[in-house]
Amino acid sequence: MGEAWVTGVGLVTALGSNRETTWHRLTAGESGVGPLTLFDTRGFRTRIAAQVDDAALALPPLAPSQQRSASRASRFALAAAAEALADAGLAGSPLVREAALVLSGGAAGLYEAEDYVRRRLLHGPRIRALREFLEVPQDAPTDRVAEVLGLAGPRLTVTTACSSSTISVGLAAEMVREGEVTVAVAGGSDALCRLTYAGFNSLRATDPEPCKPFDRRRRGLNIGEGAAILVIEDATHARQRGVRPYAVIRGLGMTNDAFHMTQPEPTGAAWERTIRAALADAAVTAEAIDYVNAHGTATEQNDSAECAAYRRVFGERLAAIPVSSVKGALGHCLCAAGAIEAAVTVLAVARGVVPPTVGFGEADPDCPIDPVPGSGRPTAVRCALSCSFAFGGNSAAMVVGAVA
Amino acid sequence: MTHGWGIASVGAVTPAGVGIPALVAALEDAAWHPQLGFEGNDAPDLAVARPAGFAAKHHIPPLVARRLDRAAGLLAVAAREAMAPLGSPPPWPGERVGVCAATWNAGTEALVEVLKAVFLAGPEEAPPAQFPSTVANAPASQLAILEKLGGPNLTFFEKQVGGLRALTEAGRLLAHRRADAVLACGVDEAQWLNAESYQRLGVLRRPGRPGMILAEGAATLVVTASPPSAPLARLLGGGSAGTPTPTHTYPSTAEALLAACRRALARAGMAAGEVELYTSMANGIPALAALESALVEQLFPAAPPAAVAISDRIGEGAFGSSLRAAVAALTLAGQVRPAWPLPTHLAERGFRLPESRPATALVAGVSGGGSAVALVLAAP
Repeated sequence: MGEAWVTGVGLVTALGSNRETTWHRLTAGESGVGPLTLFDTRGFRTRIAAQVDDAALALPPLAPSQQRSASRASRFALAAAAEALADAGLAGSPLVREAALVLSGGAAGLYEAEDYVRRRLLHGPRIRALREFLEVPQDAPTDRVAEVLGLAGPRLTVTTACSSSTISVGLAAEMVREGEVTVAVAGGSDALCRLTYAGFNSLRATDPEPCKPFDRRRRGLNIGEGAAILVIEDATHARQRGVRPYAVIRGLGMTNDAFHMTQPEPTGAAWERTIRAALADAAVTAEAIDYVNAHGTATEQNDSAECAAYRRVFGERLAAIPVSSVKGALGHCLCAAGAIEAAVTVLAVARGVVPPTVGFGEADPDCPIDPVPGSGRPTAVRCALSCSFAFGGNSAAMVVGAVA
Repeated sequence: MTHGWGIASVGAVTPAGVGIPALVAALEDAAWHPQLGFEGNDAPDLAVARPAGFAAKHHIPPLVARRLDRAAGLLAVAAREAMAPLGSPPPWPGERVGVCAATWNAGTEALVEVLKAVFLAGPEEAPPAQFPSTVANAPASQLAILEKLGGPNLTFFEKQVGGLRALTEAGRLLAHRRADAVLACGVDEAQWLNAESYQRLGVLRRPGRPGMILAEGAATLVVTASPPSAPLARLLGGGSAGTPTPTHTYPSTAEALLAACRRALARAGMAAGEVELYTSMANGIPALAALESALVEQLFPAAPPAAVAISDRIGEGAFGSSLRAAVAALTLAGQVRPAWPLPTHLAERGFRLPESRPATALVAGVSGGGSAVALVLAAP
């Protein structure tokens, strides 16, 4: 088995349309959560979100038809993928043609399609502009990235709700380790839309104010959007190219809690199993973990169950491990969340700085962790864990290590 | 990555009815055709094939069935049929049983209902009970909850080839010992607005115009390294490749399909000439028939193997590709001899229905957008 190095990172978030802006503002403790302007929020319980500045995206060249029909989710994926490939020194390389492409599903082109659905429901079948409907399939952003960037290798779209893109990155790393491909382009993209905004509102899972992960006063999440793409490369190949890697993807754990569609198993036992599966896959012990990038949605149930799982895994040592959630800064980007958090974890390992939990202010006895309040903290991270827990009980945890 | 995993059992809910026996009866009746359209709906004339009269509550306890949306109900019933021969309880602990599902459209009914509430009644009227069903992984997750399956639970979205992807990834889970058994499934639901949109794209069959039938149903194949009894078939190898193509368009060449087939054959340690059963991907769309023609001409330049085609009649979808793999497994096991006539483009190239029990099978497909997946199966 080979080693899966991360040699390129691309990020599109509410804090910035590229990796460096996002990282700089994130570690400075800034928040991208603000008034949602993408659609009319009158009548919703909350009116804020972590919205991406679409106009600032650095897109690869698109044909006119692609410009007309590419959804927000596809544009985010394209911008992040182009940035990641350039970062890896692979933009335009023939290697890209054979690369695997493993992205997450999500709302895809639903934001655009909602206008089609609205008109169809109000005015019947004699309506125009079917173009808005074209990117509804969840693999549409994956297909769009392949089409624009010329990827002809294996192509997978994983859709497991909020753990989708953690699994995408983990599976891609597995394909590289197994020698199935030399290079994989992996991650996820998701865009705001009325469906998810109304849905989380209806579940009373949103906070009308900026969210407060792990805080005693937490009231729910803020929806976000964005994309993260990682270039994952066989270590031998990357060495031959003289590439300086960010980190190594060491292992993936995936389980289902078989408990409830929307409620987490409260004791943390199910998520403990996920984390232990990741540690076993990476062949490391819990003692090796220097940082945890948490799911940390800021809902009452998630954060307490998540901390219960960490207590089970880390025991007394938990209080000494920085555990942060970036959702206070970037919102909950749903199917893109796992990849964004994987990218942030990779940067934390490479740069020796762990990001803060923006929004955290008051400790909760149910969450006995060090949530890294304020701004980023210099920390030597040799091995980190990135966790995602999703609707339907689909959990994933990934171990990211420093390159020896 | 697959290494001869056993396909222990299968289950299905199809437009032919509930269960494998209903499917086998339809497959062996050359004249069988599905009933098309929606029942009592405002879009009844669409080329959609559904399991007529299906209701999950007729097959699983009503109190359990009522919390399942239609797609989850279809999958639950298909999975129970597949799991029944394994014994109760199954031979593996629940935490060691995974699910690899594929869907093209699970969640669309709930999605339209939530949006209908938002647009017609106001944002606060969005129904909280339906929102969780809008996620495409809901059927696989509901299955995990219902059967207490705690292994990895993955759903893949790859349009027409999703069911084949679910099988290749089931093999990967087994290879990495993440599970002892995996329910590899496909599930699709028919939803009128979704189907109407595909009709407007011009890909659905209409009187006097070729096209595909959208299928509703579910198929489950139990894949394991340790089948409790002789398996129906073995999954020897899988391969995939892609062609950069717009998302609803078939690629213009068979290059990716050919690459996927060759990778699958290489992993199975077989040459194309050793394939005894070719499972056609034809779905009634002429562009796909042309692609398949190009593929088989390059793959089988001399003597074509026996072939079976079901998607052009029973319908297309992620579920459709799972069903193709299930029919291949049943044919290898000698449990069915399909009698449905082959599509013209294959018959003209000398393909014929199987006259005896084949020993090996190739199942391949390509999605709109250009992702191609192939599997090689063998008789046990």
